[in-house]
Amino acid sequence: FIIFVMISVTVFPTNLLFCNTIFALSSGHGRCGVAVVRVSGPASATALRSMAGLTRSLPPPRTALLRSITEPQSKEVLDRGLVLWFPAPHSFTGEDSVEFHIHGGPAVITAVLQALGSMPGMRPAEAGEFTRRAFQAEKLGLTEVEGLGDLIHAETEAQRRQALRQMSGDLGRLYQDWSHKLKRCLAHVEAFIDFSEDELIEDGVLTQVDKSVCDLQADIERHLKDERRGERLRSGVQVVIAGATNAGKSSLLNTICQRPAAIVSPIAGTTRDVVETALDIGGFPVLLTDTAGLRDSPDLVEREGVRRARERVEQADLTLVVVDCAHLPSDAQEAAAFLLAHLKSILPETGMIPPYLSLSDSQLSLKAFQTQRVCGLPPVCLISCHTNEGLQDFVTVLHNSVKTLCGDPLSGAPTLTQARHRAHLQQCVTALAQYQQYRDTDLALAAEGVRLALTSLGRITGRVGPEEILDIIFKDFCIGK
Amino acid sequence: MLTKKLSTLHSFLLLASRRAGHLARQQYDVIVVGGGHAGAEAAAAAARMGAETLLVTQKIHTIGVLSCNPSLGGIGKGHLVKEIDALDGLCGRAGDWAGIYFSILNRKKGPAVWGPRAQLDRQRYREFIQAELLGTPRLTVLEGSVEELQVTEPNPEEPGHHRVTGIRLANGSHQISARSVVLTTGTFLSGSLFMGQTTSPGGRIGDAPSSAGLSYTLQERLGLRVGRLRTGTPPRIVKDSVDFSLVEPHLPDKHPTPFSFLNTHVRCKPEEQLLCYLTCTTPGVERVVRESLHLNCHIQQDTKGPRYCPSIESRVLRFPGRAHQVWLEPEGVNSDLLYPQGLSMTMPPDMQLLLIREIPGMQRAEIHTPGYGVQYDFVCPTQLSPALQVKSTQGLFLAGQINGTTGYEEAAAQGLWAGVNAARWALSMPPLALSRTESYIGVLIDDLISRGVTEPYRMFTSRAEFRASLRPDNADLRLTLKGFEEVGCVSSLRYQEAVRVRDSLQEALAALQTLTLSAPNWTKKLPNIRISEVKTTSLTGVDLLQYRDVSFEMLASAFPECLSRFTEFSQRLKIEAVYRFHCELQKKEIERIQKEENMALPQDIDYFSLPVSLSQEVREILDRFRPSTLGAATRLQGITPAAIVNLLQYVYHTGQKERGPRRNKPDHKEDREEELCARNASIPQ
Repeated sequence: FIIFVMISVTVFPTNLLFCNTIFALSSGHGRCGVAVVRVSGPASATALRSMAGLTRSLPPPRTALLRSITEPQSKEVLDRGLVLWFPAPHSFTGEDSVEFHIHGGPAVITAVLQALGSMPGMRPAEAGEFTRRAFQAEKLGLTEVEGLGDLIHAETEAQRRQALRQMSGDLGRLYQDWSHKLKRCLAHVEAFIDFSEDELIEDGVLTQVDKSVCDLQADIERHLKDERRGERLRSGVQVVIAGATNAGKSSLLNTICQRPAAIVSPIAGTTRDVVETALDIGGFPVLLTDTAGLRDSPDLVEREGVRRARERVEQADLTLVVVDCAHLPSDAQEAAAFLLAHLKSILPETGMIPPYLSLSDSQLSLKAFQTQRVCGLPPVCLISCHTNEGLQDFVTVLHNSVKTLCGDPLSGAPTLTQARHRAHLQQCVTALAQYQQYRDTDLALAAEGVRLALTSLGRITGRVGPEEILDIIFKDFCIGK
Repeated sequence: MLTKKLSTLHSFLLLASRRAGHLARQQYDVIVVGGGHAGAEAAAAAARMGAETLLVTQKIHTIGVLSCNPSLGGIGKGHLVKEIDALDGLCGRAGDWAGIYFSILNRKKGPAVWGPRAQLDRQRYREFIQAELLGTPRLTVLEGSVEELQVTEPNPEEPGHHRVTGIRLANGSHQISARSVVLTTGTFLSGSLFMGQTTSPGGRIGDAPSSAGLSYTLQERLGLRVGRLRTGTPPRIVKDSVDFSLVEPHLPDKHPTPFSFLNTHVRCKPEEQLLCYLTCTTPGVERVVRESLHLNCHIQQDTKGPRYCPSIESRVLRFPGRAHQVWLEPEGVNSDLLYPQGLSMTMPPDMQLLLIREIPGMQRAEIHTPGYGVQYDFVCPTQLSPALQVKSTQGLFLAGQINGTTGYEEAAAQGLWAGVNAARWALSMPPLALSRTESYIGVLIDDLISRGVTEPYRMFTSRAEFRASLRPDNADLRLTLKGFEEVGCVSSLRYQEAVRVRDSLQEALAALQTLTLSAPNWTKKLPNIRISEVKTTSLTGVDLLQYRDVSFEMLASAFPECLSRFTEFSQRLKIEAVYRFHCELQKKEIERIQKEENMALPQDIDYFSLPVSLSQEVREILDRFRPSTLGAATRLQGITPAAIVNLLQYVYHTGQKERGPRRNKPDHKEDREEELCARNASIPQ
């Protein structure tokens, strides 16, 4: 039920955030010497001043300057790198912008992003937000505009997959639990505002909210201070091999990593759990996952394996669907229809990621699939794991896709998602403080604090609309005059 | 203003009967069908806009009748009354005229959610509305029943698109033509009344049912989707039969606050206000409900009723074993009746009597008129534009319960806006929308047209995202200026007053801002106030006014030379100071949304063939809801940011094509006119 999490969060009214300066890593991850972090919006100059130690004056516009980049509060040096200042309107977005060119290691990038997120008025950019701002400032040429929708689509998809990965564990449960509590708090405050004059809403309602808000604030703050950060996050491009039993998935895994990482046998249902192998493909980090063959099985263990397999497919950046050629109809048209139906049964309905088909034990008569796309089929590679025929082509295709995925700064970098989460949680805590500040003097403004808190948390867990709050109100209280 | 009205009331009523007899003309700019809260505001607004307007209603003496509760305003609803008044509508002034018990709800919860409310004298309210309408220039009132709505055959180039040409009356084949028609039929559209096991056609007890012809035209000829809703009203209780020693009296505010920005006081003297009484249900009430369930066909059906205004039957069934509040409210200065709020019921009359006699204070109570339920058709409001015009039928506007709402204030708000746009259409002016970022009326209309309704829609403050900015106190600043300058529905008298208020508030805030003292110096000036000593920086008067215990009067007496002339606005200045910061925070977001709302999406787009990258799912949603602006599209469920950007791009491109290559615009004014035309052009007329 958290599918489309990141998609809906950029839609009104979750945009009700008070931070209008955005930042993001705008270079790809993987093998890179220099990373570029971009900042855009009114607080850009402040960010530059306090992080590059420029107290007196800003650097000349559009000129690279070598500075020590420091944490704004502790003044700890995070890196030494180039800073560039682009005052409005002469920047990519048309707003005041800053670029930090720093060293490409994940630790440095994370530290800089977290430092930016800790400053007032700053928040991580939503998918495509830089480009959208540029568009609104009429800074984009027509050709750039053409691709904007696709770009944002790709970015939202990447964020959605990231979110799914993060949200399926304990961390996800924790955030959902907070969101649930906060929704109830808001519903109860709103009920007290909209109905308490007519109705018997017990006075204890607000006392309960006070306690919940206080607890939540403490919980989230404790979480933010916890250096262990919960579970270890898997990094790298997530490539998942999926398909029916005995299609040759494990053989493909072993062939790609050139060692017998998974047990291979002619018995259907050999692989029952998820088998993960960390690989380096053309210099890019890849986490290759072999999964149990998808079939209805009476065996409890196998059924759990199938469930896990489906979960992995949903979170994958790239799915390799393996089909045994022996099962293919010989007519090319029929074969295409068979493959389409097969794909539908394996991929989640929301899966927008073009999957790859690899046909094991190829018959060269099916070459048609390889050369051209047949009615909506994704690219097809014909491979024989016995003779290694077609393997070279397959690796080239895989390499290119991984390279494209790594060029997207959002995929495979859990630290980025962490930085986003931290920023939103921090805003959530700040907003809850507003509830306490106004609790006794102005309940409307206090409620505004809870609304903002839920909006911030909603950017992680999904948007909450006013109708949902009203539903809770009507469920919990007997309203009616 | 108030007293003038009283003396002229009588002569207006005489005039009414004369006007009703024969019509001066067979053609009008705007015809309003129905004389309830929506119809009255619609007719008055259209006439204020300069349109020759005809109001057709079954009986002139039921214009402005309060069919259900004798009260106006409340939480959320009070916001609507203030906004209607700010746009020069009737109900605020009518409330000040007819109110007999004034109170501001939520007084302790912050000015953004204050709910101005009044109990009304039914007769006075009706008289005020009737006098107002009958005295409005360019407005004719006609007693009659509408048999048919006249529309053109669909335009062959735009299948399914019609244009309104007028109405046909029931008696004979009397036809009256008009460029716009506003339908405000309330619960009368295929309405049926329920009491116990009996059912009869009608929309309100004592009134004839409306003709089936109207319903036929809407559904069969215009192909509009309709749904069914239900509502109900409680029995009226004979006042003398209630034992007031057993119920708890509730006092009104000592100093009644008028609804209208034009009034400084209300008609009723503070000490002449009447009381309300509170009592509650008992286990006996629950027993009667259960015993009469098999005799109650209204409650057995599953048509959607309001969750927040449920009948006593649904209340005790949903939340058994509790005491539910029952308010006994006065019906008027000279009325012998009480209105038991919270006791809507549809059981047979003899059971109704049994039920109320289980309630403390009503053991010997008599029922004057039994309660009953109503089921009625509403037109799914997603078929309307932000101007409340039926998208597929030019010149046809709908307002009030016909759009699935409940409540006088919700009806009046829509009526006013439909009247404004009906007049604009008739006078060849482009339609106008109110944004949800600037008004509760905008929130109401946007919710209706973009989400539709599944139960009768009522306003709550929790529906407004920008609650801190949309307050009852500043409705005039939000709407009166715009209402005069852009809309045309506000008189110059009211406009001048709003300008005076705006300028005075600005001056006063500027004066407060320049009053800068250090914390110790402030302490010297205001010895009773604890100013936090940590603050070594200097504080302005605005900062000080944000302190909980500091009032503007205190500052004015400390600095009489620069502040005393603003004491008329003490309360408003205090509110402005406290809310200023929060409104500033919301401003950016409001601007962004308004920008998106200014980008119109043509209503005749074929979303399925649009040469833009959109998923089938998104295309279906867009086709179903046909959002009128990009802003409205972003609020639809299931619309992705990528889809929005692709639409944005489309609008941008088509906009550029329409505007042509010329990029140098001579001045701002022309720029805006051009934009208006572009927008106008993209909404098919």
